[in-house]
Amino acid sequence: MSEWSGTVWLGAVALVLLLTLGAIILVYLLMRLREVRQRLSDREAEHEVVLDRLQENENRLRAVFESEPECVKLQSADGTVLEINPAGLALIGAEQPEDIIGRKIFVIVAPEYRDYYRENMRRVFAGESVVYEFKAITLKGRSCWMESHAVPLRDARGNIHALLGITRDITEHKWAEEQARRHQSELTRVARLSTMGEMATGIAHELNQPLAAIANFARGCLRRLRGGEVTCAELIVPLEEICQQADRAGEVIRHVRDFVRKRVARMSAVDINLVVRSAVRLTELESRQQYAHVGLDLAPQQPRVWADSIMIEQVVSNLIRNSIEAMAEARSPHREVTVKTRQLGEDAVEVEVSDLGPGIDGALIDQVFDQFFTTKPDGVGMGLSISRSIVESHGGQLRAESRPGGGAVFRFTLRAIGRTLADNERRYSLHH
Amino acid sequence: MSDATVFIIDDDQAVARSLRWLIESVRLKVETFTSAQGFLDQYDPARAGCLVLDVRMPGLSGLELQERLKAQHGYHPPIIFITGHGDVQMAVRAVQAGAFDFVEKPFNDQDLLDRIQRAIAHDAGQRDREEQRSQLKALFASLTPREREVLDLVVGGMSNKGIANALGLSAKTVEVHRAKVMEKLHARSLSDLVKMALQNQGG
Repeated sequence: MSEWSGTVWLGAVALVLLLTLGAIILVYLLMRLREVRQRLSDREAEHEVVLDRLQENENRLRAVFESEPECVKLQSADGTVLEINPAGLALIGAEQPEDIIGRKIFVIVAPEYRDYYRENMRRVFAGESVVYEFKAITLKGRSCWMESHAVPLRDARGNIHALLGITRDITEHKWAEEQARRHQSELTRVARLSTMGEMATGIAHELNQPLAAIANFARGCLRRLRGGEVTCAELIVPLEEICQQADRAGEVIRHVRDFVRKRVARMSAVDINLVVRSAVRLTELESRQQYAHVGLDLAPQQPRVWADSIMIEQVVSNLIRNSIEAMAEARSPHREVTVKTRQLGEDAVEVEVSDLGPGIDGALIDQVFDQFFTTKPDGVGMGLSISRSIVESHGGQLRAESRPGGGAVFRFTLRAIGRTLADNERRYSLHH
Repeated sequence: MSDATVFIIDDDQAVARSLRWLIESVRLKVETFTSAQGFLDQYDPARAGCLVLDVRMPGLSGLELQERLKAQHGYHPPIIFITGHGDVQMAVRAVQAGAFDFVEKPFNDQDLLDRIQRAIAHDAGQRDREEQRSQLKALFASLTPREREVLDLVVGGMSNKGIANALGLSAKTVEVHRAKVMEKLHARSLSDLVKMALQNQGG
C-alpha cells in the first residue's frame, strides 16, 4: 500500500509541476501575444499617418493643380492629353475636361505649327526641358499665341511616361512686341527724315544756285530786249545757259527724291559679295566711259551680314562712282578701283573701296561726309553723306582715308550674323 | 567811271557767268574769277571798280579776302557780298568788317545793279579824294623850308609884320615868300590857303 500511495503522490506532484509549467508558458505566450498585438497596432497607426500624409500631399498638389492660374497639362508621347487643370480648360476653350482629355493636343495647335510642336514634344520625351512658342486656335476658334514650358515626368524606375506642360497666353505680349518693332522702324524712319531735314537747308542752297543763274540770265536778256540793242544771235548763249541750269536744278531734285523715299529698311541675311558684284554692275557704264577698271578682291567664305541689300548696294556703287569720277577729274593714268571684302573678327565684315586717284586733301578729310560738300564741278555733295547715314543705320561705320602713295580709301563695316542673330532669324521665320 | 570794272568772284561758274551777263547789260566792264585766291593773284590796286562775291566760298572765304586786301593795300575796292538764305549773320559780320554792302539771294536785279553803281561811285569818290590828297601833298612838297615856315605862320593868323618880326626878316621878304606860296599851291585867297593847309594836315 505504501508503495502505491507513494507512486500516487509522486504522480500528483509531477502533475502539479506540469500544470504550473504549462501555466507559466501560457502566461508568457499571452504576454508575447499582447506585445505583438500592440506592436502591430502601432505599425498600423504609423501606416495610417503615412497614408494620411500621402492623401494630404495629393490633395495639396491637386489643389495647386486645380487652382494654378496657368494651364497645366499632362500629355503622353503621342500627344494625348492625360490631365488638364481648369485654367487649361479655359485657355483652350473647353467646357468640360472630356472636351480635351483623351484627345490629341494638336487639335488646338495651328496647322503650320504642328510639326514644330511635335519636334518639341520629341525633345521632352528624350529628356530635355524646352520652352516654345506657337500659334494656337482654341476649341472656340480664337486664334492666339501661346508659350509652353515643358518638362519630362518620370516614374519610379526613371522612365519618362508623360510631358508636364505649363502654357500661357502671350498674345498681348506678342502684340506689344510687334508694336515695339513697328515703333522702332518708325523711329528709324523719323531719324532718317530728320537727317533729311538737316539736309533741307543744304538742298535749298544747292537749288538756289541754278535758280539764281537762271534769273540772272533771263533778266539780262530782258534788259537787252527792252533796250532794243540786242540781236537774236546774241541771245542764244544765255538762253542755252538757262536750259542747262534748269536741268541742273532738276537733277538736284531727282537726287533728293531718290534718297528721301520713305523706304523702311528691309533687313535680311545678305551675302556681301553678291551685293558688291551687283553694285559693280551698276557702275559699269561709268567705268567704261571713264576708262576705269573695277577689280574685286572678295573673301571667299565669310558670314552673312544683316543688311538691307539695296541700301548697301547704293553705298558701294556710290563709292565706286566717286572713285571713278575723282580719277577722271585728276586725269589719272591708271584708273583702277578695287573693292575688297574681308571678315573682321567674329562679328564684322569690312568692305573697302580704294582707287589710284589723287586721294583726299588732308584738310578736307573731315568734311567729305558733310552734306553738300563736293569737290566735283557739278556734284550735289549728298552721296557720301547719305552713304554714311545708311552705313550708320546698319550699326556700322564709314571712314575715309588717303593712302600715302596716293589714292583714296573708303571702308565700312557691317555686322556679321552671329549665333544670336541667326537664332532670331530662325525664331522669326517660325512665327511668320 | 567808264573804266570801272566789276570783279565777280563766285566758285559756281554758272552763277558767275550769269552775273556777268546781267551786269554787262548796263554796259559795265566785268571780270569773273572762280576763287578769291585767283582774284588776289592778279589784283591791281590801281584798277577802279567794285567786287561782287559770294560770302560762302570754299578755300579763301570772302571775309578772308576782304581782310587780306585791307592788310596788304590799305584801300580796297568796295565789296558787295551775295549771301544765300540764312547767311545774313555772315553778311552783317562782313559789313562790320568793312564790306560796302550785301544782297541776299534771291535778289532783285535792279537792286543789285543799283548797289553796284553806288559802289562804283563810292570807289570813284574815294579815288578822287585820294588823288587830290596826293596832289596836295606834291604841291606842299614843292615849298622851300622858309616858305613852309611863312605858310605855317600865315595859317596861324599872324600878320606879315608879325611874321617878319618872328622870323627876323623884312616885311618885304615875307611878302615875296607869301606870294610864292600862293602861286605854288595855286591858292587864290587866304581862305583857300588855310583850307588846303588843313586838308594836307588831315591827310
